[in-house]
Amino acid sequence: MKMVRAVIRPESTELVVDALAASGFVALTRIQAFGRGKQKGIDSGNVHYDELPKNLLMLVVEDEHVPQVLEVVQKQAKTGNFGDGKVFVSPVDTVFTIRTGQEGV
Amino acid sequence: MKEIIAIIRPNKVTATKRALDRLGFPSMSVVAVFGRGKQKGIANEVAVEISPIVRGLGSFKGMPYVPKRLLSIVVPAEMLNKVLNTIIKVNQTGDIGDGKVIVCPVEDALRVRTGETGQAAIL
Repeated sequence: MKMVRAVIRPESTELVVDALAASGFVALTRIQAFGRGKQKGIDSGNVHYDELPKNLLMLVVEDEHVPQVLEVVQKQAKTGNFGDGKVFVSPVDTVFTIRTGQEGV
Repeated sequence: MKEIIAIIRPNKVTATKRALDRLGFPSMSVVAVFGRGKQKGIANEVAVEISPIVRGLGSFKGMPYVPKRLLSIVVPAEMLNKVLNTIIKVNQTGDIGDGKVIVCPVEDALRVRTGETGQAAIL
């Protein structure tokens, strides 16, 4: 299993979430985050914004579904400008459902 | 070392903290998050009849996200099962929405104050 963490623009969050649900990945966690990328934030007039608001979507999927998730996220979150975000994929050993105590997604 | 990411009900945080404290793992990070499971939010999570008039409004899809707390705990691999069982036991109500526990591998840790690394940094 893999954990996919996508840091995306807040305004594209719902698009991504709905598209993921349509592809069968309904379960996810949304975390409000602030961060910056290689551009060190953004300059707007005289004001420098060092950290910009983003949403972090976190979901755990089977290995074979990772490319599909990445494709959906990229399709919905891409605007072509700086600040579209990043997606991180990391390994997961196990997942337990607390209600049943059973292993598995 | 393993990282345990537990997504649990907000009102179970205190009980979980107490239980883990007794095991000897008082340290954790807690984040307020929103999420949903297979049930697609709260509409099917509670046994409340939603009036057909409200349902017919079209835009009504229930509550798409449910408030949860995300606990992140890093433990030595040999203590993993003990901590997991405690978390599952404390948080189990038997209803939908109890949450998930995710176990991820962790390569190293660093205690900033002393510069200790590895297991010494988390115990």
